[in-house]
Amino acid sequence: MTATVPSITTTAARAVLASKLYGKGDTEVRALDGVSVDFDRGQYHAIMGPSGSGKSTLLHCIAGLDRLTTGDVWIGDINLNTLNEKQLTRVRRDHIGFVFQSFNLIPTLTAIENIRLPMSLAGRDPDDEWVDRVIETVHLADRLQHRPSELSGGQQQRVAVARALASRPDVIFADEPTGNLDSKASAEILTFMRQAVDEFQQTIVMVTHDPIAASYADRVVFLADGKIVDEIRDPTPDTVLAVIRRLGD
Amino acid sequence: MWKVTWKGLLSHKLRFALTAVSVVLGVSFMAGTLVLTATINATFDDLFAGIYEGTDAQVRGIEPVDAQFGPGSAPRLPVDASALDVVRGVNGVAVAEPFVAIPYAQVVDGAGDPIGGGVGPPTFGQSWVDNEDLNPFQLVPGSEPPGVDDEIVIDKGTAKEGGIAVGDRVDVLSLLPTKQYTVVGIAKFGTQDSQLGASVIQFTLPESQRINGMAAADYSNIGVVADSGVTQEQVRDNIAGAIADTNVEVLTGKELTEENQNEVAGFLDIFNRVLLVFALVALFVSCFIIYNTFSIIVAQRTREMALLRAIGASTRQVTTSILLESIAVGVFASLVGFVAGIALAAGLKVALDAFGLDIPAGDIVVPPIAFVLSFAAGLIVTVVSAMIPARRASRVPPVAAMRDVAIEHRHGFGYRIAIGVFVTVGGAALMLFALFGSPGNAIYYLGVGAVAVIVGVIVVGPVVAVPVSRVIGWPLPRVRGIVGDLARENALRNPRRTSATATALMVGVSLVGFITILAASTKASVADTLDAQLRTDFIVTGGSGFGVPLSPAIGDEMAALPELGAVSPLRFAGAAVDGRGEFMTALNTETEDELFDLGVSRGTLGSLDVDGIALSTSYADDHDLLIGDTLDVVFPATGLTSVQVRALYQGNDLGLTGKLLISIESFDAHYLPEQRVDFFVLARLAPGVTTEEGAAAIERVLEPYPTAKLQNNAEFRESQEATIAAFVNLVYALLFLAVIIAVIGIANTLALSIYERTRELGLLRAVGTTRRQLKSMVRWEAVIIAVLGTLLGLVIGFFFGWSVVLALEEDGFSSFDPAPGQLVIIVIVAGIAGVLAAVFPARRAAKLDVLKAISTE
Repeated sequence: MTATVPSITTTAARAVLASKLYGKGDTEVRALDGVSVDFDRGQYHAIMGPSGSGKSTLLHCIAGLDRLTTGDVWIGDINLNTLNEKQLTRVRRDHIGFVFQSFNLIPTLTAIENIRLPMSLAGRDPDDEWVDRVIETVHLADRLQHRPSELSGGQQQRVAVARALASRPDVIFADEPTGNLDSKASAEILTFMRQAVDEFQQTIVMVTHDPIAASYADRVVFLADGKIVDEIRDPTPDTVLAVIRRLGD
Repeated sequence: MWKVTWKGLLSHKLRFALTAVSVVLGVSFMAGTLVLTATINATFDDLFAGIYEGTDAQVRGIEPVDAQFGPGSAPRLPVDASALDVVRGVNGVAVAEPFVAIPYAQVVDGAGDPIGGGVGPPTFGQSWVDNEDLNPFQLVPGSEPPGVDDEIVIDKGTAKEGGIAVGDRVDVLSLLPTKQYTVVGIAKFGTQDSQLGASVIQFTLPESQRINGMAAADYSNIGVVADSGVTQEQVRDNIAGAIADTNVEVLTGKELTEENQNEVAGFLDIFNRVLLVFALVALFVSCFIIYNTFSIIVAQRTREMALLRAIGASTRQVTTSILLESIAVGVFASLVGFVAGIALAAGLKVALDAFGLDIPAGDIVVPPIAFVLSFAAGLIVTVVSAMIPARRASRVPPVAAMRDVAIEHRHGFGYRIAIGVFVTVGGAALMLFALFGSPGNAIYYLGVGAVAVIVGVIVVGPVVAVPVSRVIGWPLPRVRGIVGDLARENALRNPRRTSATATALMVGVSLVGFITILAASTKASVADTLDAQLRTDFIVTGGSGFGVPLSPAIGDEMAALPELGAVSPLRFAGAAVDGRGEFMTALNTETEDELFDLGVSRGTLGSLDVDGIALSTSYADDHDLLIGDTLDVVFPATGLTSVQVRALYQGNDLGLTGKLLISIESFDAHYLPEQRVDFFVLARLAPGVTTEEGAAAIERVLEPYPTAKLQNNAEFRESQEATIAAFVNLVYALLFLAVIIAVIGIANTLALSIYERTRELGLLRAVGTTRRQLKSMVRWEAVIIAVLGTLLGLVIGFFFGWSVVLALEEDGFSSFDPAPGQLVIIVIVAGIAGVLAAVFPARRAAKLDVLKAISTE
C-alpha cells in the first residue's frame, strides 16, 4: 500500500486546451496549440510526432516539469496550475514516475538506492514486498548493489523503470526510453512496461518516434505543429507507419 | 590557441573571477606588506634626516656591552663634562652644545592618565638645546625656552591632545615622583606637530640630568656645528684627535643619521619578513584553489579537448591552451592584487595615523621590488597550480569526443601513499632533529621539516580523505536521510578534488592549531613556573607586561613599610658573559626563602654579595660550569669584571628570574645609574598583617607614581596571560587571510562542481527533491569538506605544538596543554565556515531550472 490517496477520477492525467508559446509577435513559436487530451488509468499511451511537433513539450508540461502559457493540466484531480514550486515538486515525487532517454540514475547511489530514491526523499518507508516484486519483474535481483557505472545501458533503463514503478505513481512518463538501447534491450524494457500496465494497472504515457515501441501501447496520439492530428487504438507497427506516412503528405 | 583560450575565458567570466579572487587576496597581502614597510621605512628615514639635519658631528660615549635586548640593556657611557671645553676649542668647531636624553618622561593629567604619545609612539624627554641647527624643534610664537628648572617646553602634538597652553602648569611623570612644571613653550618638529607622534618634553640641562640621576658632570652627548667651509669629516677627525678619552667616540652627522636609519630598517626588515611569511602561506593556500578550478575546467571541457585533438591539435597545443588561460588569470589577478595591496597599505597608513602616529602627509612609497615580487608570486602560483590539470587535459584521448567517457584516474594510489608517507615521516624527522639535535640554523630545518610534513599529508590526502570523510559523514544518513547520504557520497566520489579543497583549509588550521596549543602550553607553563618560584602576596608592575620601569625609590620605600615582611625589586639588564650576550636578573638576595623558591641546589643566594653570581642548572650544564668557577663579565659601568659562581638553582626563561642571577648590590655596582630601574617589586605581608592593610600601605607609596600598578598573584598571572593572548590574537589575524581563502576555495569548488553536476541535479529535482533538500545536500557536502580539512589540520598542528613544547621543556615549558576546549571550538567554527561557504553554491543549485538541467549536454 502506498501512502497516496487513490484518485476518484478515471483519468490519470489530462490536458485541457493546453498551449505553450515562446517569443512574441513575429518570432512567436507555438510549441503547443490548444491541446486537449485525456490519459485514462491502467492504459499504456504513446505520443508520437516529428521533431518540433510539441510531443516533448506536452510531456514536460503534463509531468510538472514546465508550465503552460494557457490551459490546464491535471494529475489525477490535482490541477498543476494551482500549485507553487514546492507543491509541484511534491507532486512529482509522490504521484509521477519518470524514465528519461538517458542519464536516469544518480551515479553515487546503488541500483537499489536509486529505486528507493523518491520514497527516501519523501522520508517514507518503502513497501518492501512491492519493491521486491518490481525488482523481480525487471529481473534485477542480482544487480542491486551495483552502481550505474557498473551496469549496461539496458540494465540502467531497467533500474529506471523499477524506480518509476516502485513508488506506485498515478502515471509514469517515459521520454524516448528506448532511444539509446539496442533492439534486444528495447524489447525488454517495452515488455516490462507492458507488463506493468497489464499486471499492476499502472498508467504509462510514453513519447517515442519508434513505431515498434509505439506498437506496445494501447493507444497512440499523434502530434504535429503543436496540435493533435490523429489517434489510433490497439496499434501495430504497420498501422502506426501508415498514419505517419499519411501525415507526412 | 590564443583565440580558443580568450573566448573560453570571456564566456566564463564568473569562473574566471572566482579563480582570480584567491590569488588577488594573497598578492594584495604581499604587495601591501612590501609597500607599507617601504613607506614606514621612508618615513623614519626622513625623520632621522630631519633630526640630524643641522648636526655636523656628535661626540658620545661608547656602548660598553654589545647586548641587544630589553630596555636599558645597551646604554652608552656618558660623556664627561670636561670634554665640552676641549671640543669647543677644536679647529673647525663653530658651536658645541651638551645634550641629555631622558628615556622616559610623560605628561599626565589630573587622573594620572598619560597625555601624548598615543598607543605606539614613545614618550621621552631631553634637555633644551638653544641652537637652531642642533635642535630640530622650533618654538611657536609666544613660546620661550625653559629658563629655570621647573619650566618645560612640550611638543605641539602633546599640547593639542591635553589642551595645554603656554603658561599652564602640568604634572610630569618620570622615574622620579611626579613633579609639576610650567609650560613656557610649545614646539613643532619642522612642519609636523611632533616626531611621528612621539611626545617629547624639553627641560633645562640641569633638570634633565637630575631626572636621569646623572652627575652634573655628565652629558649624554655633545652636538657640534662646524664652521662654514669645514666638512663633517674634517671636523670629526679634528675632534677625535683632540680627545684622548677611549670611552668616547665621534661621528659625523651623516653617519649618525645612517646609523639610526639602519637600525630602524633592520627592525622593519624583520617585520617585513614575518608578514611575508604569512602572505606566502596565503598564496600557498591559493595554489589549491587554482588547482581545483583548473581540474574542474579540464574535466568539463573533456569533449572539447577531445575534439581539438581529433581534428589535429597536438598534446602540447592542448596543454598550452590551458596554461595560457592560467597565465591570463595570473596576470590579471596579480595586477589587481598589486593595486589592491597599495590601497591596503594606504588604508593601514591612515589606521596608524588614527593610533597616534603623526605621519607626514607624504606619499606611499612603492618600491619596484614590491611590484616585481608580488606580480611574480601571483603569476607563478597560478601557472604552477594549473600545470597538473593542463597535463591531464592533454591526455584526453581524441575518441572521447564521440563517447560519453567519464575519465576517472583511479590508478596510482599505492604510489601516492608511498611518496606521501615518506615525505611526511621525513619532514617530521627533520623537525625533531631541528628541535632536539640542536644543529646550527635549526630554524631552517624546522621550517623545511614543517613544510615537508604539510606537503606529505597533502600528497596522501586523497587516500586519507575517503575513510575520514566516511567517518565524519557517518551520522548524516541517519540524521538527514537520503539527502545526507547523497551529500556524503558526493564528498567521497572524487577524492582528489575533495582532498585538494580540504587540504587548503588544513594548511591554515594546522598553523592555528599549533599557535593555540603553543599559547595554551605557554600559559600553563608560565603559571606553573610562577606558582613554583614565587611566594609573594603582591607584585608591583609598571603597567602591562614589561611596560614602564619603576623608580628604585618605590622598592626602597616599600622595604621600609612595617606592613610588609619581605620586599625585593627585580631588575634586568644585559651583560657579556665569557663573550656571549646574556640576560642578567637582579634581586634582593636576603629575601631568598621568603619571596622565592628557586630550587637552589648548591650554595645559597645570600652568599652572592657584590662579586658573586648564581646560575640555573641548565645554563651551568650547557656551559660546563661549576660552583667556584670564575666568569669574565663585561658590565656597562665597570667593564671587564670577574664574578664567581656561588649558587645553582632551577631557573628558566619563562619565570621571572631567568638563568643568571646577581644581587641588587652587585647590580648597583656594575650598571649605569639610568639602568637602576625596577621592572617588578615583589612583596610579602608581614605576619599578622591583613591583605587589605598591606595593599593600602603599598598604594600610599605608589601615589606619586601613577603608572605603577599593584597586583596580587592571581591578577599578575592574568595580565601575563593577557599578553600571551594578545600575541596569539595577532597571529590569528594574520592567519585569517589564509583561512578565508580556503573557505572561498570550498565555495568555489562547490559552485563549479554543481555546474558540473547540472544534469544530475536536474534529475533529482525531477523525481521530487525539493529546493530545500538540494540546498541541504550542498551544505552538508561543504561541512564534510570543511571538517575534514580542519581535523587533518589539527592533527598536524598538534604534532607541531607537541614537538615544540617538548623541545622547550628545559627552557621552562613544563606543561603541555593541548587546549581541547579550544580545539573543539575550532572544529565547530570549521563546520560553520562550511555552511557559510555553501550559501552561494546551494542557492545556485536550488535555482536550477529543472527542465534545462535535465536537457543539459
